Amino acid sequence: MRAERLRGPGAAVAATADRGGRLAAVGIAFGWHAAVNLPGMIGGWDGYRVPWAAAAGWVLYVVVGLLGTGRLFFRFTVPVLPLTAVLLLVDALIFAITPDELIFHAANWGWSTVGWFALILYYDRGVAPMVAVLTTNAALGLVGVVATTTEADAAVDLSRFVMTVYGVAVLPIALVAAAGVLRETARSAAASETKRAAIESARLGAVQAQKERQERLAIVSEAAGALLTDLATGRADPADPDVQRSCALAAARLRRLIAESDDVPDPLLHELRACVDVAERQGVPVDLIAVGDLPPLDVAVRRRLAEPLAATLATARDWARVTVVAQADEVVVSLTTPATAGPAKESHSWPLDGVVDYWYERDEELVWTQTRWRAA
Amino acid sequence: MDADPVAGGMTYGSRVAVAIVDDHPVVLEGVRSWLSADPRLHVVATGDDVDAVLAQGPADVILLDLRLHGRMAIDKVSELSAAGQRVVVYSEHHEASTILAVLDAGAVAFLAKHEGRDHCVETVLAAAADRPYVPPSLAGAMVGDRSSTRPTLSDKEREALLLWFQSMSKASVAKRMRISEHTVKQYVDRARIKYARAGRPAATKSALLARAIEDGLIRPEEIGTYRSYASPDRP
Repeated sequence: MRAERLRGPGAAVAATADRGGRLAAVGIAFGWHAAVNLPGMIGGWDGYRVPWAAAAGWVLYVVVGLLGTGRLFFRFTVPVLPLTAVLLLVDALIFAITPDELIFHAANWGWSTVGWFALILYYDRGVAPMVAVLTTNAALGLVGVVATTTEADAAVDLSRFVMTVYGVAVLPIALVAAAGVLRETARSAAASETKRAAIESARLGAVQAQKERQERLAIVSEAAGALLTDLATGRADPADPDVQRSCALAAARLRRLIAESDDVPDPLLHELRACVDVAERQGVPVDLIAVGDLPPLDVAVRRRLAEPLAATLATARDWARVTVVAQADEVVVSLTTPATAGPAKESHSWPLDGVVDYWYERDEELVWTQTRWRAA
Repeated sequence: MDADPVAGGMTYGSRVAVAIVDDHPVVLEGVRSWLSADPRLHVVATGDDVDAVLAQGPADVILLDLRLHGRMAIDKVSELSAAGQRVVVYSEHHEASTILAVLDAGAVAFLAKHEGRDHCVETVLAAAADRPYVPPSLAGAMVGDRSSTRPTLSDKEREALLLWFQSMSKASVAKRMRISEHTVKQYVDRARIKYARAGRPAATKSALLARAIEDGLIRPEEIGTYRSYASPDRP
């Protein structure tokens, strides 16, 4: 399953790397056909037993070459075996119509060309089909040479035959083998790159998770660490109302942080409830009223919305009222509680995903904290 | 025996006659004692059945518990309102959708049971005079209303409703908005009147509108011309 997933991108990279090899195969075949065969055919034109058959064979090679190119570059479905047969038949035909004295001349272009056109057809199918085609070509050649040679020239002609067949076969086979190796290398390189990328993204994910954990730990330490140290060392007196307030705030923060990671439908309400819960344990009755449907909010936005309220809630003594009014592009959270000591006024604005505004006011009657998020 | 110094100055007939319908005897007694303590109010009938209570005599305002014997009495609210009977619904169900449905049915006001004595007395007095009274729970329902048929509130009206819902203190809202308490009340009441204009008609809604015009809360030309978003009123 995992290997299967990795093979996908690997194959794509390999195909791109292989493009050069395919261009070379097509270029060599048509280059050879135009630059070597055409002049050879024209030069031997008058000698051919049936000249138009040579021309027809030349054109058939072009057609087969074009069909093979379509398969290589545009994924055309072409009948490879019948096309191979066409190549070999033309090969035999050119042998048959070439005068005996021109057998080793460029006019007999079929047997020196069949390998390059077979390469187009069998480029990505391994060495074996190429060997088979070129062996057949050699057999046809041997029959042709044996049929036309004279007793005096037999040894020389056999040697020329071996030279020709060897020269014609070695390069296309080498090219097919090289292309195969290149493809395999590109594929495995792409696969290891994919694996490396997967490992890298897992590493980045872990780093991010660790960073978030450390941030949380920092908030927790800030919330409770110093206070607990002071209580443990006796520097803070549990009977002191200020210390009690700080404890309530720390408890609310811890509860909210724990609630943050819970998977619940309305995380903001869940986190506010956690703060309210702590206040209620302190004996402060709290009304939490929400109207409207909450849009999905980022944890940073939720923190900005809830945190100032949690701080004020920790100072509540008599009763408190928390309201949430939500719509798709705006969420307003408010806390009112009878006035106690505290700063008279405060306000902030945090540009986050949208903007979270915070204000706090204390008059003779009420302490009133409001946070408001507006969509960007 | 000394006469009550306040009630003594009033004639019996000028007091607001209130009927209370609730199926919990304890709540019934509690609300009766709240209302009876105010010299401007006179509880004429109580019971757990609307028809039986009204049969005891006419009431200026009927204070109706929304949930009677396990079922929501919203259709009863529309029936009474259509006939011109002022209904103040009070309920422990204060979901915004319930509150808005009650308003649409023609109730003069909605009161959450936890909102207490002062709101209760004020609501009944305002209802008797066909004047709007918006307790915080009702303000919350209006400000959170996202239904397609909701009336268009101005920014100030919306903000006043929101802050009133949050703080339950008109003095604090006034300070926050830098306007007078009277203006805060006007914004809130205008929002309420806009709801009387929306939805299905009821005799009680017409009475609210008529009184709002009389009080100068809205202008007569603002009535009955529901402005659609689709038709801009430019010449």
